[in-house]
Amino acid sequence: MDNPNHGQTCRRCGLASSTIVRSEPLCQVCFVKYVSTKTVKRLETFAVRHSEPDKERRLLLPLSMGVSSLTLLHILQGHLNRQIERTGRTGFSLHVVFVDCSIIDDAAPTVVSLRTVQERFPGPIYSTVRLEDIFKTQDHGHGETEPNDGSATAKLFALFSALPSPTSRIDVASNILTRLVVDVALSSSCEAVLWGDSTTRLAEKTLSETAKGRGFSLPWQIGDGSTPFGLAFHYPLRDLLKKELVAHASIVSPPLEPLVNISSSPAHQVAVSAKNTTIDFLMKQYFESVEENYPSIVANVVRTATKLETSTSTPERRCRLCKMPITEDLLGIHGWGGDETDAVPSSGAELGHGLCYGCTRSVPVEAIDLLPT
Amino acid sequence: MAPSPCALCHTNRALILRPKNHQKLCKPCFINTFEAEIHHIITANKLFHRGERIAIGASGGKDSTVLASVLKTLNERYDYGVELVLLSIDEGIKGYRDDSLETVKRNAQQYNMPLTILGYSELYGWTMDQVVEQVGKKGNCTYCGVFRRQALDRGAAKLGVQHVVTGHNADDVAETVLMNLLRGDLPRLSRTTSIVTSTPSAVANAESGVPNHTNIKRSKPLKYAYEKEIVLYAHHKQLDYFSTECIYSPEAFRGSARALIKNLERVRPSAILDVVKSGEDMARLIPGSDERCGTGGCATNTTEEAGGCGSSQGRSTGGEMADMEKRLQQNDNAADHGLEVEITTMKTPRKKNAPKKATHASTQVPRKAVNQTMGQCTRCGYLSSQNVCKACTLLEGLNKSRPKASIGQVDAEDDETSTSHLSNTMNQVGISGD
Repeated sequence: MDNPNHGQTCRRCGLASSTIVRSEPLCQVCFVKYVSTKTVKRLETFAVRHSEPDKERRLLLPLSMGVSSLTLLHILQGHLNRQIERTGRTGFSLHVVFVDCSIIDDAAPTVVSLRTVQERFPGPIYSTVRLEDIFKTQDHGHGETEPNDGSATAKLFALFSALPSPTSRIDVASNILTRLVVDVALSSSCEAVLWGDSTTRLAEKTLSETAKGRGFSLPWQIGDGSTPFGLAFHYPLRDLLKKELVAHASIVSPPLEPLVNISSSPAHQVAVSAKNTTIDFLMKQYFESVEENYPSIVANVVRTATKLETSTSTPERRCRLCKMPITEDLLGIHGWGGDETDAVPSSGAELGHGLCYGCTRSVPVEAIDLLPT
Repeated sequence: MAPSPCALCHTNRALILRPKNHQKLCKPCFINTFEAEIHHIITANKLFHRGERIAIGASGGKDSTVLASVLKTLNERYDYGVELVLLSIDEGIKGYRDDSLETVKRNAQQYNMPLTILGYSELYGWTMDQVVEQVGKKGNCTYCGVFRRQALDRGAAKLGVQHVVTGHNADDVAETVLMNLLRGDLPRLSRTTSIVTSTPSAVANAESGVPNHTNIKRSKPLKYAYEKEIVLYAHHKQLDYFSTECIYSPEAFRGSARALIKNLERVRPSAILDVVKSGEDMARLIPGSDERCGTGGCATNTTEEAGGCGSSQGRSTGGEMADMEKRLQQNDNAADHGLEVEITTMKTPRKKNAPKKATHASTQVPRKAVNQTMGQCTRCGYLSSQNVCKACTLLEGLNKSRPKASIGQVDAEDDETSTSHLSNTMNQVGISGD
């Protein structure tokens, strides 16, 4: 990938190449073009010709300050600029939301780092929500966060201290994050969310959600298009590997690297002690090693998961935490083939709790009342 | 620290930390719970019926030994009214199978069950050691898996048995779910998550009542049992089992998935069961799955599987992951280049390549999740979606490269077992291969 390859010429323009992309030598210019084209191709639906001049289409980009979402922002800003140059208008307007998770993670980026990003990419409208805002009843979409509400913070702390393991905490946090992003999107009239997940990240997600018992909701978590949340999710970076995005971030000018939050880089996370490992981290480690030598296998995992179809039954209810549609047999961890007890005492109670199988694994009974509504 | 009492009987000292849920149990309560859970699986899925003759696929390893022991116990305790027999396949792996078969022979006496041993050499004319000598260690699991599946069916037919139970445990199933995601094989993911698999002709031939090797029902009563608990059960019941792994190592995808499962279990003990649950749920979301037939227990059709210790595709020359990577990359390149030729006019050398690679793409597109139509192998009559079944195809390759002198040997072996259906057809393969 980033090993310099002197003596080879770029497969596209014939100049000296500096990068190997999926076994093809490319020069820097063509590599940057490759990354951008792969992304923009995914956004055909939002081309200028599909937008009416008087009716603006809004899209929301959740920014984690990691290399992937920053790259997506960088590419989209360039894309919008080119649309203006060519046609005088854009196919959509971009909103960026930053979810501040510093309450549960000391190393998480804060609003301070967001300002640097805003200076570099002045185009979009920016807003910030905090993880604890999930406990506020009002919508989360209106510009800057209101002064911190102590009770929301206390509620989030109470919930997280009742969760049994790092795996559970990360799992619950990411479900809350998704819901916050959806709330912001809906309240700011965005028709879709553009997630920054790379191929590698989607493959990680496929296996970690499988390992967490959420195989049933994969079609909604991996595919492009409509979701049970009432708006579409898109993954424009789904054809690019994490390592390609990392290489790209150092090649573009000025580089994106200084903006990238270190806590989301792999080197930082290796330091985490073994007993605090999470399922998500295991899968991250696994696919970062697979993508080294077998990038196509990573892509194939995602392609395979995308083939899964959403359930044909019409679920009458939603999981209380992840909000995915569930049929009765997906409620709780009892009453399926692998539940090897004859007596199903908690079945009635579980129906009342309203959590899907995967969320029931993450949230112990005593923490259920602490969940946001 | 005071010893903690058993979480179930509250009287005995807890000696066992249950791997599945970290419950602290005493030895009798653990044994009871383990057996009760298997009993629950058998009754909830109506795996057996009274008067049924059931062959236990016995390898002498912990899984099948525990399966035989538990089934004997439960059959007596709950009066299932089934007749249990042991069926062993001798792959012909020196230093592994010959020793483990001695264990099976002792098991047959200990459990008072009749034992039948069927060898690859009498069925196919090749032992695994000979296969490995021929094809090398890489990819040999494919041969073994394909041969074993048919061998169990043939053995069952020979015994007049219509139901074979195997010792696949929860770890195996979870591993296979992850492996098939990594390999991109949804149809197989769906099949391996069912507790019962059967072949279409099982229904068709049921009336005649004569079992043939295409109507054997397979089930996995230990599907939800953790490997660690199986080991604990074997240990505390002091079962006699053979604990050496096959000397030929598993292929890369399975090895990779196995390592992941072990790590997941360490992080969250329920993860093995959770992967199995996900696998069952995903099976229902596979396009064209006749699934959607309700929860869990519905039987899926099975053909020849490369499974067992399995590998994916035919003869692989290098690591399976590297091979698959290469194939996928060719597809991608072909797709990309096809597109690029249209958009930008490429320089001459590229143009030459593009069409050639494009045809590659059309022949090598990843398998789609479509329903296969079942027929019979024209050579041996085994159920197959192809004209010639996988075993016969593999044999053809093997026999082609076998020196002529050794074909004589095959004939000699066949004379001894001239009743064997496949061995006869195998001769034809050998001859037509020449």
